This record gives sequence, C-alpha cells and structure tokens, in this order.
Amino acid sequence: MMVRRAVARASRPSRPMGLDGPAGSRTSYLGELRTRVLKGWVDVTAVEAGNSGVRRIEAEAVPTRYARGWHCLGLSAGFKDGRPHTVSAFGQKLVVFQSGSGAINVLDAYCRHMGADLSKGTIKGEEIACPFHDWRWGGDGRCKKIPYARRVPLRARTAAWTTMEQDGLLFVWNDPEGNPPPPEVTIPRIEGATRDDWTEWVWKEIVVETNCREVVDNIVDMAHFFYVHFSFPTYFKNIFEGHVATQIMKGNGRPDARRPAKAGEPQMLGNTSVASYHGPSFMIDDLTYHYDDMDLKSVLVNAHYPIDGNSFMLHSGIIVQQSDKLSKDAAEAMAQKLGDFILRGFDQDVQIWKHKTRIDNPLLCEEDGPVYQLRRWYEQFYVDVADVKPEMVERFEFELDTTRPVEVWKQEVEDNLARRAAEGRPA
Amino acid sequence: MTVRPDDRLLDGAPMQPLCCRQCGAEVEVRKASWHQTSVQWNAEAVSACLERRASSLGDGSGVFPGCTALRDSIARAALEGVIAVPES
Ligand code: FES
Ligand SMILES: [Fe+2]
Repeated sequence: MMVRRAVARASRPSRPMGLDGPAGSRTSYLGELRTRVLKGWVDVTAVEAGNSGVRRIEAEAVPTRYARGWHCLGLSAGFKDGRPHTVSAFGQKLVVFQSGSGAINVLDAYCRHMGADLSKGTIKGEEIACPFHDWRWGGDGRCKKIPYARRVPLRARTAAWTTMEQDGLLFVWNDPEGNPPPPEVTIPRIEGATRDDWTEWVWKEIVVETNCREVVDNIVDMAHFFYVHFSFPTYFKNIFEGHVATQIMKGNGRPDARRPAKAGEPQMLGNTSVASYHGPSFMIDDLTYHYDDMDLKSVLVNAHYPIDGNSFMLHSGIIVQQSDKLSKDAAEAMAQKLGDFILRGFDQDVQIWKHKTRIDNPLLCEEDGPVYQLRRWYEQFYVDVADVKPEMVERFEFELDTTRPVEVWKQEVEDNLARRAAEGRPA
Repeated sequence: MTVRPDDRLLDGAPMQPLCCRQCGAEVEVRKASWHQTSVQWNAEAVSACLERRASSLGDGSGVFPGCTALRDSIARAALEGVIAVPES
C-alpha cells in the first residue's frame, strides 16, 4: 500500500510566484528537492502520481537574515558578575561583558587578531582582554591596546551591538543594515519592574529547536488557547500597527479542565490580557487574573532571540503586584507559581513546535485568527527599512467578541446611535 | 519570506470599504460573522479618526484599542446589510 500520509504532510518545496530568477534558481530548487527527498520529506512516487485535490504544505527556507529590532538577552544582573558571558544569537557567538564603568557591552566573540573566543577572556578595566594574546577590546568594538605592541594596527575594529538596560533587563539592537535604533522604536517601561509593591522578576529561559516565527504566530492563534492551554477566550482582538502587534484577550478557564476550588480558597474566574510585541521579539503582557474576591495583577514578558535559523532562546519573566489581599510573601509565591504555570504552557507549545512542520500556507477557517496579516506585519523586520511596504505597518484590527449575544449587541448599537443622535453628533 | 494573501478574503467575504459616520475615515471592513470583524486602516484614516487623536495625547506607549464610533458605524452597516454578514 502506498503511504499517502507523506503526501498530505510533505510536499514539493515551494516556489513562490515571482521568486524564480532565470539563472541559478533552478539549481537551488533541485538542490532543495534533493535534500528533502534524502531526508524523507517527500514521497516522490506519490508526488508524481499527482493528487490534484490534495492541499500541499508550502514552506520556503527559513530567512537567512535575522530580524531588525531590540532583543532581550535576559536579566541584566546575570551579566554583572565581573566575567564575560557567551551568548549565541543571530547565528553568531557574542561576548557580553560589563566594563569597569558599569556599561554592558556586546561584541562579536571572535577576536580579530587570531580568532580566539573573547567570552573566554577576562574583563580588564573598560575592556575585554582576549585569552590568547591579551588584545584589549572596548565596548565600541575598537581594539584599545595590545600590551606587547607599540601600536594598534589599522582596521582593528570588531562588530559591536547597541545595548540598553531597562527595568532590570538587557537588550541588544540587531540591524543587518547596521543602523542605530530609530527613536520611535522603543521598548516601553514596565512600571512594576522597579516598584516596591511588585515582586522581583521570576525569569525562565529555554532553548527551542525551531524557527522563531512559531512563537510569534501564537499571538493570533485563538483556537490553540482552547486546545493547548485549556483556556476559553470569550473576547479576542489583534491590532497590528507600526512595529507593534497586540493581542487583547479575555478568557475563562475551561470548566472541564479546571480543578474546583477547595472550600475557602479563592475561585479563579478568568483573566484579562493585553499583550503587545514591541518589535519582532519582545512581548509585554499586562495580565490580570480575576478571582471571586480580588483581581491579581501581573506583568508577563515573553521574549526570544534567534540562536540561528532553526533554534531560539525563549524567555519568560513575570512580576506580580502585592495588594491588601496579597502580602509580599504571597505575591512572591504567586509569581513563582505563575512562572511555573507559564513554563508548563510553553512546554505545551514546545511539544507542538518540536514535531510540526514549517508552513507558509496555513489552511484557515473563518474561526481562525489573522495569521497572514500577522506575517505581513512580521515581514517588516526581515527587509531593509527602505523596503518596508505600507501594508506591513498599516493598522489592522481583528476582533472576535462572543461576550454579548447578538440580540443584546444589536440593541446596544441602536442605543449608542440614538444617544449620539440626541447629542447632535452624526448618527 | 514572501507575504502571501489570505485565501479567506478570496473564497469568503471580501474586505469592503466603509466610512466612519463620526469622522468620515474610510477603512475596509469584513465580517465573517456577527461576532467577528476585521478592519484595515490606512494612514489617512488613522489621522482622520477623532478618538484616535484624543487617545494619543497619552504617553504614546499605550495601544489604541479601537474607535467606538467606527465600531458602531460597522455594526450599523452590518444591521443595514451594507456590510454583508454570512448567516451561520
Ligand atoms: S587571538 Fe585574540 S589576542 Fe590573539
Ligand atoms: Fe501557546
């Protein structure tokens, strides 16, 4: 019997219209096909047999460049122990070091002298000293001193990343074009992060072995909250505008997946979440849990940086606000508990990501979120600034509101319009 | 990565132009059901929207959740059949 599953699952490597250059592309197309066949992704017999009605999964290779934007490397305190740190990001090895004056710097880890790994070196004053021949590199990427030489040679300059420390977090600016961050592209302040009535960050990091587009897709994937995270969104909205992509969600726990509260224990009724990606990789989520006797306020950070095209570092951070119902200790315990809970949520996603295939042409039903519009937004970070098209940044809204039955909703509209008319505004 | 079209706009209801009854901003609207609405703005519409203008007096870091006047305009258009709503 022929294996049909392979047909439905895999497919011919996609050749997007208009991308087929006259020269060279044919070779790479065949090369790609060969790779796929060797890896067992394509059942050649079945593909050639031509199942015209079969929906084919298409996926271009993962992009060869890394997104332009601010990327969070984690808690800045972790980099302030007097040692250099190795970070694998953007397909490279980086060294992160705090110079004597306190600034945290990020350089390409490979020394331009003979290629040693600066992240295995030592911090000496303002500079990172290479472990091989002690060349001293400053945070600006320039070689400041060679202890055994009279003069630093010309061109002694390595790649340096712009960094920013904010709210206890370290950020690097990545731009394949090498431009500094424009002033309007910022990471907003997280108020609770520096306030005494909020907990410290509970921070978790995991490596995920897939392309980072998968995690960004989550922001539009309404249905997966039900199936993967056992939550039941009653209101859902996405807004894409400029470099910000937002998800607003009001949800109830799924009653069938919820442990009933013990007597005297507060019952969680649902949650309200306003989450925005500020650029390609850093999401701040104002997340409020509603209990029968209180609201619990927290801020969740969901951030990542690409290690390479096929893996990324996923970070989650959480802070919780104390209240008269929630003491300092209780808030801290709650932050730990939520941190673990969120990590379990990630694990559920990771299980899916690990085994799924990349898909550029997801087949969507009307009940699905705006996956294509999100990817159109996401594309802006992978092209030169000059090539960012209006449709990538223009405001788009997608809303699903099941909180009001249609009849109530119709009545409400009539009332609003009547009120406007009474106020002399256009109805 | 290539930006691909959403087949739902070709197979199902298309985006339809609609003007806000409050500010006149012209946007494109689509409803897949009574509960589900998509709105495509352009720069001109964004600058015409009065509620939007009022809201950006804040610190700018907040997200403008949407215009209530436009929301009502869309609802009205849906009720009047100007914007088609597939019956479920
Ligand atoms: S390789 Fe770094 S100093 Fe020689
Ligand atoms: Fe998820």
